[in-house]
Amino acid sequence: MSELSLLEQDIAKLIVETLKLKVDPATIQPVAALFGDGLGLDSIDALELALAISQSYGYQLRSNDPEINAIFSSLRTLTKAIEKNRTK
Amino acid sequence: MSQAWQQQQERGSRASIRMMTWVAQSLGRPGARALLYPICAYFLLGSGAARRAIGRFREQALGRPASWRDLIRHYHAFASTILDRVYFLLGRFDLFEIQVHGLDVLDRELAKGRGCVLLGSHLGSFEMVRAVGLSRQHIEIRVLMDEQNAPLIRGLIQELNPAAAETVIQVGGADTMLQVKECLDRGGVVGIMGDRVMQEDQAVVCNFLGREARFPTGTMRLAHVVRAPVVLFFGLYRGGNRYEVYLESFSEGVRLSHEQRATDLKQWTQRYADRLEAFCHRAPDNWFNFYEFWND
Repeated sequence: MSELSLLEQDIAKLIVETLKLKVDPATIQPVAALFGDGLGLDSIDALELALAISQSYGYQLRSNDPEINAIFSSLRTLTKAIEKNRTK
Repeated sequence: MSQAWQQQQERGSRASIRMMTWVAQSLGRPGARALLYPICAYFLLGSGAARRAIGRFREQALGRPASWRDLIRHYHAFASTILDRVYFLLGRFDLFEIQVHGLDVLDRELAKGRGCVLLGSHLGSFEMVRAVGLSRQHIEIRVLMDEQNAPLIRGLIQELNPAAAETVIQVGGADTMLQVKECLDRGGVVGIMGDRVMQEDQAVVCNFLGREARFPTGTMRLAHVVRAPVVLFFGLYRGGNRYEVYLESFSEGVRLSHEQRATDLKQWTQRYADRLEAFCHRAPDNWFNFYEFWND
C-alpha cells in the first residue's frame, strides 16, 4: 500500500497506537471508512483519537465544526484536516 | 436478545402522542390519569412479547410469578411516567412532589471542575435529570439519547420544549462523544443510560438479578477517556405525584488498565449492574425495558 503519504502513514500509526487496534497501519486504506463498516471505530474511539491528535499536532477537533463528519470519514480526509490546521 | 428493544417498534403513533399532549393539557393531570387504565389495557394486551418480558423481569426480581394485577400496576407506572413527561417538558414541576437525595454528592464532584457523568438507566424516569437542573440552575445538563430509535419521544421533546431538545446529544455520530467532552470541559453534566446494548461488540456479560445479562461497556470506556467523575442517577416514580431522585457516588474516575482492559471493563460494568439491581429491588414497577433482558 505505497499510496499512503508520509503524514498519512504517521496518522495511521497514531490511530492504531491510540486505539490499540490489531491491524498493521500500512494496511489501512486511505479512502476507506474509519467508522462503521471500514475500521469499525465508534464515537468513543473518535474522541480518543481527537484527544491524541490535539496532543500530537495541536489541532483541536470541535463538534461544532460543520465539516466534522467529513473530516472523520477516512484516513485521507482526517490527514488533510490535520495538515491544514496543525500547530505543531 | 439484548438488541430486541431495537426491533421492538415504538407503539402508538405520532397522532396518539399529540392527543396525549392535548389531553394532558386540557384535562389536567387527574383527568388525564383516569385515561391511563384503558391505555394500559391496550398496551398490555397489544404485545405478548413485551408482557412476557416484564413478567420475567418481575419474577427474576421478586422471586414469584407476576399476576395480572402486578402487570397492570407495572404498566400503569410506565404510562404515568410517559404522561408526566409531558408536564415535565412543559415545566410543570409544581404538580409533583419530588424528593432529591444526594444532591451534595453531585455538588462535590462538580466542584472539582471536571464536569460529571450522570449514569442512569431505564429504571424509572430519566427525564428526572431535568429536575436536578431545577435546584441547580447554573449547571449545563445534556442528555445522550438514541433519538433514531425513539422518534416519538424526540417529537414530543421538540414540540413541547425546543430548548430541552437542544440539550439532547444524539448517539451514533462521529462527533457525539466530542460533544460530551466539550460539555464536561465546561463543567457540565452529561446524562447517559447504561443498561441498553447499542453495539453488540461493545458489551459484557454481567450477573444481574441472579442471571447473566449483557450490559454495554460504552459508559465505562467513555469515563476512562474523559477522566470525569461518574455519579449514579435514579429517578424513581413512587405512585401518585411522587418522584424520588437518587444521586449516588460511583467513581472519581474510571480507569482501565492497558494490560487488563477487558477485566477492568467487566468489573466496572458489574458494579453498575449491582447498583441497578439494588434499585430494582427498591422499585420493581419502574423497570421500563420492555424486552427480554437476559441472554438465554
